[in-house]
This record gives sequence, structure tokens and C-alpha cells, in this order.
Amino acid sequence: MAGLTGSPRDQNSLFRGGLASPLSRAQYAALIWVQRRIFLNSLRTMRGSFELGARILTGFIFFAIALGPGFGMGFGAYEGAVHGRPLAIAILLWVLCAVWQGFSAVAPALAGQNPDLSYLLRFPVSLGSWVLLYLVYGIMAPSTLIGLIWAASIGIGLTIARPDLLGWTALTLALVVLFNVLLSRTILAWVERWMAQRRTREIATAVLLFVGLGAQALNPAFHHYGHHWPASHGAAHLSHRIWEAQAAFPPGMAAEALALPLRHKGGGALPLGGLALYTAGVTGLLLVRLRSESRGENFSEVRREPAARTRRRARPRFEFSGPVAAVFEKDLRYLLRSGPMLYNLAAPLVMVFLFSGLYGSGTAAGGFRHAYALPTALIWAFLGLTRIVSNSFGAEGQGMQFYYLSPTPLRLVMLGKNALHVLLFLVEAAVITGVVLYRVGPPKPSIAAATIAWLLCALPLDLAAANVLSVLMPYRASAVRMRGAQGGMGNGLLSMLAQAGIVALGAIVIAPCSLLGHPWLATPILLALALVSLVVYARVLARIDGMMQGRRETVLLEVAKTPAAS
Amino acid sequence: MDSPAIAIRDLTRRFGQFVAVDDITFSVAQGQFFGFLGPNGAGKSTTIKMLTGLLAPTSGQMELIGLDFATHPLEIKRQIGVVPEGLALFGRLTAWEYLRFVGRMYGLDGPTTNRRAEELLDFMTLADEPKKLVTDFSHGMQKKLALAAAVIHAPRVLFLDEPFEGVDAVAAGTLKAMLQRMIERGATIFLTSHVLEIVERLCSHVAIIHHGRLVANGSLDELRAGVAAEIAATGERLTLEQIFLRIVGAAGPEAHQEALQELSWLA
Repeated sequence: MAGLTGSPRDQNSLFRGGLASPLSRAQYAALIWVQRRIFLNSLRTMRGSFELGARILTGFIFFAIALGPGFGMGFGAYEGAVHGRPLAIAILLWVLCAVWQGFSAVAPALAGQNPDLSYLLRFPVSLGSWVLLYLVYGIMAPSTLIGLIWAASIGIGLTIARPDLLGWTALTLALVVLFNVLLSRTILAWVERWMAQRRTREIATAVLLFVGLGAQALNPAFHHYGHHWPASHGAAHLSHRIWEAQAAFPPGMAAEALALPLRHKGGGALPLGGLALYTAGVTGLLLVRLRSESRGENFSEVRREPAARTRRRARPRFEFSGPVAAVFEKDLRYLLRSGPMLYNLAAPLVMVFLFSGLYGSGTAAGGFRHAYALPTALIWAFLGLTRIVSNSFGAEGQGMQFYYLSPTPLRLVMLGKNALHVLLFLVEAAVITGVVLYRVGPPKPSIAAATIAWLLCALPLDLAAANVLSVLMPYRASAVRMRGAQGGMGNGLLSMLAQAGIVALGAIVIAPCSLLGHPWLATPILLALALVSLVVYARVLARIDGMMQGRRETVLLEVAKTPAAS
Repeated sequence: MDSPAIAIRDLTRRFGQFVAVDDITFSVAQGQFFGFLGPNGAGKSTTIKMLTGLLAPTSGQMELIGLDFATHPLEIKRQIGVVPEGLALFGRLTAWEYLRFVGRMYGLDGPTTNRRAEELLDFMTLADEPKKLVTDFSHGMQKKLALAAAVIHAPRVLFLDEPFEGVDAVAAGTLKAMLQRMIERGATIFLTSHVLEIVERLCSHVAIIHHGRLVANGSLDELRAGVAAEIAATGERLTLEQIFLRIVGAAGPEAHQEALQELSWLA
């Protein structure tokens, strides 16, 4: 038999070796080439150029955000080294890790920072290469940028204080960076897995709530003792226990590894070894997850369902006819079955849980924050909806064609979607209000009334802007995987700018009224603006059919087609 | 006399410089089972997309059931059913949920939608796994569900883009019987398929599009008459596949063997 010549079987040498095998190197080169082609091809369209601009702008924004605290961290590290305060270094490293992990957890929900690499699995990509690529793509995230700037700042501060420890400091901080990169990718990979199945989704939701409530219990204690740490024996004992306990965790170990040489003490290798062990453990967890993915893991829900006995299904108790109700019901089912969508909603709530302690401060600024805790916390409710509302058709996939095929006016489809958006907003706002009432107490009646009036004004405006973005800048979003597609950055940036404008509108009305001593005046002004925003919403909705028909080819191309690579 | 179910005049669709559909004109009578054929990239799907409202034509006119598509798109959409190229399914719903959604989007009331959905699921043998999401269906099951969704509102005109691809033989027989029943009840079916035996068995009229231009249109006998000289030469009754290959000028088996010689690794 003649056989095939030139097939991969004749090129076994290609498959030898691991990460640096000839095949792997050829694949990396091919990926770099294809990414370059995708980038260049994307620039052919106005939207692609806008997306690039949005990415550059976002990068600058995060760089600017990171730079200020970075100076502070560098100065703090210098002070800690000069005056021999290991506690200062530990606090800096804990803040670095918390912000890094917190930001990388929230970023996919807000800006779609997590490229989908699953398309690579159809090729003979080794597990090592798959893991490497997963990490490399994950590094290109704002959280990494912020973390790297802060880690470098700490390193510079320590090195200025003790130049002789440059090598040791660099090694320790490099391990801190590696640990954080690995941990953020591991958390995301596992959360994505848990959110893919109904049972684990329920467990994950419970864990998130438990963590959030736990933070509620811890927050008051930390903030109380942070400002008025009592000198009693019990409190001193508690602080000592906390100091001991934190040393067993990665940031504490890194701080110990840095602090011991600063005090001319030996033994720094031991905590560094502990940090390395943690890093190895996290790597193991990530490998377990990615190994399953690389073997073609099934992300569907159906395998875990018990075999159905009944052929007939129960009729819904409440049944509403009409397309608006049909779209509402369909989108609600989609939401409840989509881990990423639920995550998008939950992530900002966790941030409210975590930061709600800030509202209770007794300082002047704290007093302001206390007074305006409710409206400022409710901003998170808008953020929770960003990815869902401003890309209303993103998760439809091939189903998007149906909207164009059906006789239902597209404005009614949008109305059904907006009805669900309003419901979700109300649920988020109710939870956030509950947190604020529990932590801070009820706001002044004038503030509460102005807040409600602002919401009546802000919600229609936000929906109107989001509807326009959904039509003009749609992008395909997975209902199963927490990974964004091309186009998400521009959409996310514009929707956040719109939300910033809506928040600014509230502030522009409420702040002067309060400063002038007429806080009640804000309510009628905002109610009048609410009427205007309702008119704006109605006018945008009335034009949705024309806009969507005019852009049907683009919308179908962006939403219904599976991208070859993203 | 009834107006045709579909009437197309001078229909053209350009993508930049490329002309996907080039000035085609034809009509489909009511109650006709119409086959629309062409090689890959000939313009079949583009034509169907224009006829169903997924794509705007560059120029030309389309009338369905006597209504101009440009002025009455929603009225027309109420009367047509479509199994499009991408099936247009919502993957994260169950089959029953999807049919309920589709029925209500076509304006059916709740009880009617539920009754028809259950009847269609039974008919398509999709009722056994009520909790399975559409995304977990096999391709054949998805095809059957797409067909069920296309007929739930009893359309007068049905557009089917490769409806039997991936469907097993038993189900295909059932589907064909249903389509024949719809034709008997006065519906019009516009079918594209690469399986020419199916088109030959089901369709009374056929049009062939090639490089965006309509190159043949008529009943099967009329198409055979179009290549009458060759029929006389061979003395046999040509199949639709033979007619199709002659009309689009496709190469025969000998040419395929020659082409294979150009693949160095298969030489």
C-alpha cells in the first residue's frame, strides 16, 4: 500500500519534547502570526479601529489608576525597610494580592477580560503548551498591569533602602507575581467550571453569599479596630494572633521573606519556600482544571440531570401571551442557566459587600460617605448589569436569526429584554439597599427621596444608551464560558462612560442642593429629568426597528457566527 | 387567478464588487413544491436570506403571497416559516421551551402554542428528553426541532435550507410525509438541497442558480426537454443529477481523476 506521504506520522520528530518542541514552537509562531493578521484585519473596519482605541485608552486609564497607589507603595516599602516595620510590608503585600485577585475576578464580568482559547483544542496542542498559552493570554489583563506596577514599586522602595538585597527582593517579588498570576487564572478556571453546571452553580452562589456575609461580619471589626485599636490585653492578644495567622498565607510569607534579611536575620529562605509551595499547589489546581479542558470536557448541563420519567411537562402556573412576555421568559431561562451571566450580576454585589465598611468611617470624608452611602452603593447595581444590558443580543448565538425571521417588531423584543433588565436591577438594588441599611443605617429622608428620583431618571437613560450599544456594537458572548469575544472592550468602555455620565448627572444635581442647604430640592429636579429620560428611552425604543434592520448583516455576523479565533 | 406564492423580479445582491445574486427573475405558484438548486457559492442561501428578510437586496422586487416585501415585511413574516442555514435555534432552552417561545413570537395564544408544541414534539420524536437543552441535541434532532418551529404557526410558504441533512432515514420519511401533507393543504414549499434524489422525488418544479444567475427554471420534464438532444443521443431518461451536472457544466469522473493527480501527497 502506497500510504500518504508527508503526513504527520512521517514527522515524529515534531511531536518530541514539551513546551519547546518543534511542533510547539511552530504553533506559537502560527498563533503570533494569526493574532497579527486578526489585529490587522480588524483595523479595516471603523469598529476594529475603535476597539483598538478603546484598548489603548483603557490601558492608559488602568496605568494612571495604578501609578498613584504605586508611588505610595514604594514609599511605604521604603519606610518599612528603613524603620524596620515588617507589618508595613505585610500590609502592602496583602493589599497587592487582594486588589490583584479582586480585580481579576471582577474584570471578566465588567469588561470581558478573558479570551476564549478553546478553539485551539482541535489542534495537536500539548498540555504544556495549552497551559502556557492560557497563562500568557491571561497575563494581558488590567489586574496584571496594576499588580506588576505595584510589585515593582515595592521592589524599588525596598531596593533604595537596602540596595544590597536587590537580588533577594527581586526573587521574592517575582514569586509573588507568579503566584498571583497563577492564582487569578486558577480561580477563574474553577469558577467557570462550577458555574457551568446547575448543581455546582447553586453551591458556588451559596459560597459567594457566604463569603460576602462573612466579609460583612469581619468588616466592622477591622474598621472599628483600625481607627481605635484598644490597648486592652484581649485586643493585643487578638492582633498578635492575626499577625501570626497571616504569616501562614502567601502574602504573609512573602513579607516575612523580605523582612527577615532587612533586619539582618537569616531564615528568609523558609517563608520563600512556603510561598513556592503555595505556588506549586495553585499550579497543580490549575493543571487539573486545564487538563480536563484539554481532553474535551463537556460543559453541558444535561449529563447530570436525572433521566426524565414524564413525557409531558408541567404547564407554567402563570402564563402571559405575547412576544414581550415570551422574550422576558426566554431571557430569564437563559440567565438562570448561564454561569457567566449570574457571575456578572453577583461580582459587583461582592464588591459592595467588601467595601461597605468604608461607609461607616467617622472622619469628615467618612461622614460624607456615610450620608451618601445608599446612592454611591447603588452605582454598583448599574455596573452589575453592564455586560448584560449593553450587549442584549450577545448570548443569542444562531438564535439571533430568529428575531429577524419572526413577525415580531424588534422594539418589542427589546422591550421584553429591558423588562428583565429592570427586574434584575431592582433585585440588585434591593440587595444593595439591604446591605447599606444593615451596615450604615437608614439614610436621611431627603437623600432617600433624591436617590429614588435619581434612579427613576438614571434607569431609562441607562437602558436607552445600552439599547443603542446593543445594536451598534454587539459581540458574541458565551452563555457557558466566562470569556469575551472581540468587540467587548469598546462596548464595555462606552457603556461605562454612559454610566459615568448618569452618575455625574445625579451628583451635579444632588451635591449643589445639599451644599446650599436645600437637599429636598434635588428630588423634584431629578423627577423632572426622569420625565425627560423616559421620553429619550421611548424615542430610542421607537427607532430600534430601523436601527436593527439597517444593521442586520453586521448584527448577524457579530452575534450568530462562531468566530474562528478571538 | 391566485397571485404566485413567491414572485421575484430583477433581484440582485452585491457584496462590494462581488455579485452574489445577479438580476434573477422567477415565480413560484401557490401549492408548488419548488426546488432551488445550485453548486456551492452559487447564491442559493443569499437568495433565501433575501426572501426571508435576513438580508436586504441591492435592487429588485420580491413579492410573497401577493405582498411586497419592502412595504409589508411583518405581514409576510407571519405567513412564512423558515428553516435557515444556521437553524436559528436558542441553545440554552429545551425543545418545548423553544417551541413555546416561537409560537408566542408568531402571535399564537398560550393554549394553542402548548398544544401544537406537544403535538410537534411527539411527531418529531423529540418528546422523550424534555429536560435536554437544544445545545445538547444531535444535529439531526436540531434539524427536526428547527422544522417543528418553522411550521408551528401553519405557514403558507415554507423555506427549507437543506432540511434533511443529518436527519436519519426514518425521520426523513416522516418529515417528507408531513411536507407532502402541507402541499396537499395548499402550502408552498421552497426547498434547497444538495441531495438531488430528494429534490427529484419531492419537487414538481426546479430552478438552478449558477454564479448568481438563474440558468434553468421549470418542471422536471421541461428541464429534461432543455437537454433533449442529449436524451436522444443516449436514449435514456436523465436523472435530475445528470441534468444538473450538464446545466452547470460540471466535470465528470474522468476530470476528477485528472484533478487528483495534482495532489502530490495523494499521487
